This record gives sequence, structure tokens and C-alpha cells, in this order.
Amino acid sequence: MTADYINICLADDDEDDRLFFTDAFDELRINTKVSTFNDGVELMNYLNNEDSILPNVLFLDLNMPKKNGVECLLEIKKNRKLDDIAIAIYSTSSSEEHIEETFVNGANIYIKKPNDFENLKKILSEVVTMNWQYHTSGLNKENFLMRM
Amino acid sequence: MEHIQLHKSPLFLKIIFIISVAIIFFIGAITFKHITVLKKSSTWIAQSYEVNIELERLLSYVKDAETGQRGYLLSKDKNFLTPYYSSKQRIKKSYKRVAELTSNSRTQQRNLKRLQYLISRRLNFLSKTLYLVEQEVNDEKALAENSTIGKLAMDSIRTEIEGMIVTQKSLLRYRQQDYNSTMNYTPLLIYLTLLITLILITIAFIKMNKDLVLLRNTINTLSVAIEVNKLSEIIGNFGSWQLNLETGKYTFSDNQYRLLGCEPQSFEAGREEYAKFIHPDDKELLDKNTKNILTHNDLHPFTYRIIRKDGEVRYLKGTGEVVTFSSDNKIFIGTTRDITSDIDDKILTEERNRELESNNKELSAFNYIASHDLQEPLRKIETFISRLITKDFNNLSPSGQQYVSNIQKSTNRMRVLIDDLLQFSRTNRTEKNFEETDLNTLLENAKQDLAQTIEDTNAIIKINNLPVLDVIPFQIQQLFINLIGNSLKYHRQGIPPIVEITYAEVISNEEEFLPDTYHNYHKINITDNGIGFEQKYAKNIFVLFNRLHNKNEYKGTGIGLAICKKIVENHKGFIFAKGQTGVGSEFTVYLPVE
Repeated sequence: MTADYINICLADDDEDDRLFFTDAFDELRINTKVSTFNDGVELMNYLNNEDSILPNVLFLDLNMPKKNGVECLLEIKKNRKLDDIAIAIYSTSSSEEHIEETFVNGANIYIKKPNDFENLKKILSEVVTMNWQYHTSGLNKENFLMRM
Repeated sequence: MEHIQLHKSPLFLKIIFIISVAIIFFIGAITFKHITVLKKSSTWIAQSYEVNIELERLLSYVKDAETGQRGYLLSKDKNFLTPYYSSKQRIKKSYKRVAELTSNSRTQQRNLKRLQYLISRRLNFLSKTLYLVEQEVNDEKALAENSTIGKLAMDSIRTEIEGMIVTQKSLLRYRQQDYNSTMNYTPLLIYLTLLITLILITIAFIKMNKDLVLLRNTINTLSVAIEVNKLSEIIGNFGSWQLNLETGKYTFSDNQYRLLGCEPQSFEAGREEYAKFIHPDDKELLDKNTKNILTHNDLHPFTYRIIRKDGEVRYLKGTGEVVTFSSDNKIFIGTTRDITSDIDDKILTEERNRELESNNKELSAFNYIASHDLQEPLRKIETFISRLITKDFNNLSPSGQQYVSNIQKSTNRMRVLIDDLLQFSRTNRTEKNFEETDLNTLLENAKQDLAQTIEDTNAIIKINNLPVLDVIPFQIQQLFINLIGNSLKYHRQGIPPIVEITYAEVISNEEEFLPDTYHNYHKINITDNGIGFEQKYAKNIFVLFNRLHNKNEYKGTGIGLAICKKIVENHKGFIFAKGQTGVGSEFTVYLPVE
């Protein structure tokens, strides 16, 4: 990472989840800058803005109003400017269909939202400090879903 | 076979008939010939006798002439000359008669000519002697000479006539011989031919009798077949009709009328009559489809509607084909089936399918709610509790701390319930990808999954060699996990569980409870020495959320065995349970051999 902090974005319509997310990063004391968006439309507007600083890692909830996670994923992967962003799917669901669909469409990792705050902290720290280049080159369906 | 025999029989009878007629003609001809021969012979015999009599008579006439002349010579009385003259006439007549009768014998003709010469010579001498006497030329010498020659001539005549009679007799004998020889072999010939005719007629009679029996049997079989056909038409709800392609005449079977709601044969079969029952919307369809009957001798199966006599609309399906009995006897045979109930069933099935589909959609929606919407609030409760415990647990009063840990226990249980439910609905929903899999591998995986529990309980798992089957691998693995897990969970306190898994291929009707949907089944038995259960609950334990024990005694959601049942059903198999309290339980899985 050339910047002195890691730029992180989260698109999630759930207020509590956004709160858990930012709290976790606050407690982790990693040099990060976290921006949150309430839905897919808000996220895409930000990303498509010329002045915006693009995130190093983007966390995408799947079930969102206006524009859902998969739609955002497709749009990002189609855009040459954005397709380098590491994308972590961040969802309550762990259904095979969702995992399959996002994997095929180019997401880098799938995180099932944990039901324990300490677990959440552990997962986020691991994801943010992950060597994405290394992870992506050896990516397959087995290590796509992140287990704790 | 019978068909051919029946065809062969008339030919055989025809040949016998022709031979018999020929033989009877032959016998007739022979008989006629022989009667003709007989008639000829009897004519001949009569003729021969007549010839002999006439010859005798001729001789006596010559003698009469001689006697008359001699009387005149002695007495000079002219009266003696009368027989002499009349004899001349008689000789002539008699001679003529003999000539007539012997016209067909050359020998006798020759003899007769000689006789004629002798007689005329004799008569010449007689008349010469008479002349000499009348002229009163008393030439004794000439007279004596004359009478000597006359006597010699007379002797010759006698000899000749006798010769002729002998000839005639020998002729008669010869003919009689000829006749006898013919008559001897004739009866034998007639007898033999009659005998042959009799034998032939007897054979023909036996053959005809046999054919008659065969024919009667065939007729019986046919009438039985007709009755069977009538019955099967009623039961099968179909009718049949015939169209004679030569005469254009239609025939309908009894049930064809019943299909229309009419009494059998209540109207004359015909195209126009039938068309009256056709649903107005289907008239064109029927015309189009039946057009080919006459041109192409063909009727493809097609469905049309009729309005029955009682006004009910029914669906009929018609089809047919040409049957050729002989070159000039072609019949179009058609069948009509009432498929209304089939169509009703189809509609009902379609309706049910639609219902099922919408039910399935609802189930999918439920699955989504369970997987996402229900999990989300629960996850948040859990996360908030985990935060509360790490950050503020020590600030709570002892009772508050108790409440919080109780809330945590309940949320944990709810998590397990939701996860199990999800798994259950996934068992139902996921694509059924069957693969050739070694069940030993799946069982080994299941054991690994349960490794911790096996270690904790000191369990012994005995495994029989399992086969390679076409299954949904992760489901069968889940089945093993659930069943072995079940045995481990319900083990008797202080007794290490022994779980035994055995395998055999069985025949369905030799197994208890097992329906014979398939002939052969793979049977997998899982037996344990656990707490067992009462046999009356054997069926209940597979019902969703059904539990035999209090959740404080044994953890569980009542979903595990329901999942097992679902998995086995996905494989078209069956699962049964047997239990004895305090002894153990036995689960049997049957998977069909396909």
C-alpha cells in the first residue's frame, strides 16, 4: 500500500450493521479511512465521481434497496477504471446461489456477517490486511467463502 | 395355420369330386359298351339259329321239288308237278333270306354262292329230265344218266348245307367265347372302380366332416371373440366402425352407438347420421381428417368433440386403417375412444401441478425468509449481546447478568433451529445431482465430521463394506452424519456407544414393510446400543419438530431425522426405525437398485 492509510468503503442499508462495521474498525486501530453508503445508488455515484478517492477494499451488502450488491458488482467489473478494486461481499445470507453468483461475477471474497462482535473484528482485520494479489491469483470456490 | 388349412380343404374336395365324376363316367362308358356287346351277341345268336333253320328249309324245298318231279315221272299225273313248281319259288325266297342273314360273313357268302350253283344245277337236271319225259323221248340211257348226275348234285347240296351249318355253329361258338371273355372281366372292373369311388367319397366325407368341426370351432371362437370385443369396448370406453370401400356402406359397433348416448343400432350407420352428433366447432376438423379415408386410405389419430343425445359434450379420439381381405374386398376399420376422462384428468393434473408450483414458490419464499430476514435480526441480537457482555457485563447487577446469559442461550438455540430448518428446506430444494459415489468415502467423511463426538463418547463404529451407488453425495453424507450422530447422542449413560453399519442387496417382497416399487433394494442398517425408544413412536420420530425427549435432557431440534427421511425420499428409497427402550435402536435405509 503506497498511501499511509487504507481506504475502505461499505455499502449497506442497515444502520446497525454500518455501526458495527465502523465500531470494529475504531477498535482495531488499523490506519484506515472508512466511508459508508446507505445503498447501491449512493455508492455508485461516489465511485463514478472524478474527484472521489477510490477505495482499496469495497464491502458490498447484497440485499439493498434501489440498487443491490450484485448490480453494483456487475457495474464495477464492467468499468475499466473501477475493476481493480478488491470487492468483499458482506451478507447475512450464505446460500449457495448467492455465493456462486458473486464468485462468477468477479467478487474477491465472500464474508457471512458474523453473529459475534469479536469475530467481526477478527474477520475485518484479516480481510483488510490481506495480500489481495496473492489471494486473487489462487482464488477458487473453496477459499472464496471466508470462514472463521 | 387354421386359415391356411381352411383354404386348402376346398381344393382337396374339388380334386376328389373331379376324380369321382371321371370314374363314374368311365364306369358308365364301360357299362354302355358292354351292354352294346351283349345286345350284338344275342342278335348274332338268334341270326345264327335262323340261318341254320333257313338252310334246313332250303334243303327240304329242294327235296320237295325232287319228290314232286319223281311222282310225275312215275304216274305221269300233272298234279305232282305243282309242288315242283312252287318249290322253285320257295327256294328262291329262302336263298334270298339266307343271303341276307349271312351278309356279314364272307365265308358263308362264298359257301352260299357254291350252294346256289349246286341248287341251280340240280334244278336244271330236274327240268331237263322233265323235258325229256314230256317230249316222250324214250331214251332210257339219257334218263338214267340224268338221274345219276341229279343224285350226285343232290348229295353235293346236302354236304354243302351241312358244311354251312357247321361253319355257322363254329362262328357262333367263337362269338360266344369272345362275349364270355368280355363279360368275365367287366364285373371285376366295375367292382374295382366302384370300390375306388367309394373310398374317395369316404375320404371326402371324413375331410368334409373334419372341416365342418373345424369350421364350427372357428365359428365358436369367433363368436367368443365378438363377445369379448363387445365387452372390452364397453369397459375400454371405445367403439368401432367399418366402411366397406367397395359398397360405401358403414357399420357401427354397439358401443359406437353408446358413445353417442344412443341405443345400439338405433339408427342406420352412415356418415351423415354420425355428423349430426359432432360439435359444431369440430365439424370442419372431422371433415378435414376423414377426407383422406377414401383418397389415401388413411386416418391419423385426432380428437374431436361430440354432443351426446342427452346434450353432454364428450371428447372422442378416432383412428383407423384399411384392412384388405382379398383383392376386391377392402374394408376401412376405425376405432373411436371416449377420452373425456383422460382430458379431465389431464386438466386436473395440470391444475394440481400449478398448485404444486405455487406451493413450491411459497416454500422458496419461506426459505429466503428463513435464510435472510429471520437471520438478520437474530444476528444483530447476538452481536449486541456479545458487545454488551464484553463492554458492560461487569456493570450489571447479578440478576441482570443472569438475564443476559439466559438471552444468549435462547438466541443460540434459535440459531440452531434456523440453521437446521434451512438445511431441511435445502434438502428439498437443491438440484439433485446424482453421481456415482463410493459410500465408504461418504461414511468416512461423516465420521470425520463427528470425530470430536466420537472421541468424547469413546464410541466404536463398525463398518461393513458399502457399495458404489448413483446418489447425491452431500445428501448421503448428511444422512450418515445425522444417523450416526443420532446414535451417539442417545447413548446410554456410562456405556460407550457401539454403532454398526451393515450392507446387503435384498429383494423387495422379502423385506418387512418395504413396498415393491422396485424389485431389488440396497439395504443399509445402522444399529446402536443406545437408549432406544418405544416401537410405537417408530413413525413419529421422522416427523418434523417431533421429539421424544425433553430438550433439557438431550439437545435437538427434531429436524435431523426429518432431514434423513427427506434425503432417502429424494433417492426414491425408504427409511424405517426399530427400537427397544434401554436396548438400542436400528435404522434401515433402502435405496432402489435401478
